[in-house]
Order: sequence, then C-alpha cells, then structure tokens
Amino acid sequence: MPVKFDYLVRETTSNLGRNVTITLASIMTVAVSLALVGASLMLRSGVENATKRWQGGIEFVVFLRIDATQQQIDSLGNDLEESPEVSKVVFVDQQQAYSEFKSLFADSPELIDSVTAEDLPPSFRIEPVNKDVDAVEALGLTYEGRSGVDQVVFASKTIRLIQQLSSRLTVGIFVIAAFLLGAAGLLILNTIRMAMFARRREIEVMKLVGATNWFIRVPFMLEGLVQGLIGAFLAIGALAAFKPFFQKWLPSAQDIPLVGGFQVSGGEMTVIFITLGIVGIAIGAIGAGIAVSRFLDV
Amino acid sequence: MITLENVTKTYKNSTVALRDANVEIAKGEFVFLVGASGSGKSTFIRLLNKEETPEQGHIYVAGKDIGRLSGWKVPYLRRNIGCIFQDFKLLPTKTVFENVAFALEVIGRPRSVIDSQVPAILDLVGLGHKSDSFPTELSGGEQQRVSVARAFVNRPLILLADEPTGNLDPATSVGIMKLLDRINKTGTTVVMATHDRGIVDTMRRRVIEIDRGSIVRDQARGVYE
Repeated sequence: MPVKFDYLVRETTSNLGRNVTITLASIMTVAVSLALVGASLMLRSGVENATKRWQGGIEFVVFLRIDATQQQIDSLGNDLEESPEVSKVVFVDQQQAYSEFKSLFADSPELIDSVTAEDLPPSFRIEPVNKDVDAVEALGLTYEGRSGVDQVVFASKTIRLIQQLSSRLTVGIFVIAAFLLGAAGLLILNTIRMAMFARRREIEVMKLVGATNWFIRVPFMLEGLVQGLIGAFLAIGALAAFKPFFQKWLPSAQDIPLVGGFQVSGGEMTVIFITLGIVGIAIGAIGAGIAVSRFLDV
Repeated sequence: MITLENVTKTYKNSTVALRDANVEIAKGEFVFLVGASGSGKSTFIRLLNKEETPEQGHIYVAGKDIGRLSGWKVPYLRRNIGCIFQDFKLLPTKTVFENVAFALEVIGRPRSVIDSQVPAILDLVGLGHKSDSFPTELSGGEQQRVSVARAFVNRPLILLADEPTGNLDPATSVGIMKLLDRINKTGTTVVMATHDRGIVDTMRRRVIEIDRGSIVRDQARGVYE
C-alpha cells in the first residue's frame, strides 16, 4: 500500500514540532559527536598526507652550530656529497632558515622581530641511500661528533611521534564520540517514544481500523532519520567552516623539519562528509528502529 | 461468518477469560453477549479482532483461521471489522469529519473516496450538520454516533460493539440501538457486549451468556436472563 507523501511530511513535521526542546537536544548531540568524528578523521588524513611525503626517503637533518666556520661547513658538505651512503644533500643557510621561520610565524610579527637570521642555525637535509631506520640512524650519528655540528635530528623519530600522537588522539576522540553517539541514539529513541506517547490515541485508532504496521511506523522512523540527518548536516557545516582554521592550527610544512604539510584534500573531505551523513542516518535509524519495535506494539 | 472451536484464553495472572468456547455466528446475525463484569465478554470481542490470541482452539472470521494469520495480515482482517466502544475513542484534536476521514486515510483510501463517503455516512448517522464540530462539543450520544460512523464508513462485514451504550442514558441508547439495527439490516454481522437489560429484552435477538469464562446459555430471540 503506498504511503502518501503529503501524509508523511505532515506527520513527521508535526512529530518533530511537538517536542522541540528534546528534538533539538538530540540533534545537537548528533552534531557534536559527528563533528568530533569528522575532526579526528580530518586529523588522521592530514597526518597521513604529511607523512606520505616521506615515502620518497627517510631523511635526517644535521644542524650546524651558529658559530660554525665556512671551512667546517664546506668540509662537511663535501663529505656528505661524496659519501656513497647519501643520495641527496640540501644545504639550508641562515637566510633560507630565516625566511622559512618568517613564513611559519607570519601571524606573530613580534617573534619575527626578536629573531634575526644570525640566530638560526644552518643545516644540511639529507636523503640517505639505505632508508632502513637503523641504518639512517647509524649514518646520522657518524656526523654528530664532527666539529661545527650542533645536533642531528632524525625525521623518522619525528614522524613516529606524530603518527603515534595522531593515532592516540584519534582513538581518544573516537571513544568520546562513540559515547556521545550512544547518547544521541538514546535521545532520539526517547524523543520518538514521547512522540508516540503524545499520539497514542491516534495510534490506537489506526490499529483499530486496520492501518498497516508500516503506515503507523514510517512517520516515526522518518522522525529519527531527520534528526540524525540534520545533526549530520550541522556537523558537516561546522567542519567545513572550521577547516581553514584547522589547516592553520596544525603544524605547517616548515614547523617540523622535513615533514610535509597537513593538507586534507577536497576529495578526502567529501569522503569524510559522506561518512558523517551515513553515520548520522544510521544513528537516527537505530534509535527510531528500537523505539518503533519496542514501544509500538502493533 | 464467525466460528469459535474449543477456544480457551487464559491471561498471565492465570485468570481464565474464556473456557472451551464453541460458537457459530452466521452472516447478518445480531448477537448480544451478556454476563457480569469480568465474565469474558470483552475477551470474546478482542479475540475476534485479534487483539488477543487464544491458547487453544481455532477462531474463523470470514472463512479465515485468524490464529494462523501472520502479523502483517492482521490490519487487513481489521479492515473487515468495525469496532465501537464505551468510551468512543474519538480523537479530540480532530473534527467529526476528520475523525471519520482518518479511518479511511490511514488505510490508504484516496481523497476522492474520503470526500464522497464521509458526508454520506455522517448523514446516515444523523450528524451531517455537525461535521465541523469537535468531539468535546457533542453530547455522548452524538459522540457514539461519530464512532459508529467511523466503524462503518469502510463497510465492514462485522461490527463489534463493546458496551456501546455503557455511558449513555436510556433514551440516547435507544437511538444508538436503532442505528446498529439499521446497520445490521444492510447485512453486517453485529456482535455486541452489553449490560443493558432493557435493550436486550426489547430487541429480542440471539443472546449468548458468559459466566466466569464459560458459555452458559445461547438462546435465539433471548432475554437478558
């Protein structure tokens, strides 16, 4: 039996309007939890994109002392160039380091003013032939004791740290989001239960005159779906608005030596948004489904 | 039209509402169910509507064993059965017209059918002029007429009435009984549970008496006791 469209629209909107406050509560809970899920997905793909650049070769940086002589720099540079274990060497002098520093702290000019090119150490960025982590570390350490060298920073460690941090953050956020999604589902369930209670006389009459179970159920199911969907839309809107800020807030390419930018592409955002939409609908459907099967004894 | 074969219904608190009942009701009959409160009259009615399911025995309604009816077919059974109650069960937020139209709307009847059937049935029950009133603006008798209109608008084969005059004064009750009699004359089978001695004794129709779950009397053209 076809359920008429205008009937569904009328019933669903009147159900939603009947309990405005609790409907808003469930929509907001869905929105917040989905925004958290979305943010952690964005963080994860940002980190993935950042570390993807490293697949070309695990690198390390040899930072020189600020007072290193030109002779020391040249000698180290030559050794690196000639070393059979090094495939590529990039020298970053104080001016280049300073311009990176300036672009990195573009929004805090007082910091830029307090630092001059002379305060920043020059460095060599190195891509080794053998990219095994241990080999890279062994190779890097051979340069640590040399005159003029301040310290050797291994990108591998940095990357591991970032990956670890991001995966822990992601897990943490997901746990919180899961609890919130559970709460959202329960809220939706209760909203629908209240709508059913408000309409119990009509439901009784519908059963009496032979309305099919689905005819009675569908408006309530839709009510749950609409709540989930609106929550998902709010979360998507918030993330879309938040994305430029997110991009700025995360470390940029220059912030952590040799780590790529934490970019999240438009395609990835679309996938995240679709995921949120599906999760929102699913939460609505689960809440409504339980309410309909538990409390609508037809 | 309606057949009960060895039907027993026990509630969870082990009250026996109906014990080994055997009844045969032909198409077009008018049957009174009488007995004290709690004797099992309402259970009898609710079994026919499949609001309750018996532990034992078979119930046939319009040729179908409703015990074997799967859940999704129950609504279609109920479309053949109209129901009226002591408390009318009208929707207070809907007008008289909307209350009756609702019964057609929720079984998917098109607007055109609703717009032609509802005024006709309201005229039949004598409430054509009150179609825009709300139930609270009507007297008890008028409210029961609306509920009869709602039960009958879909032209069911069977009309079940559970103490339809229980809340009405004797004069108003007579009006409702005349209406049910008229509906019965169109060929609709009517089963009515009642306490109203006057009505049963005046109408002289078949009487089935239930006492603590057992059918103790089944009398054609009977009286209350």
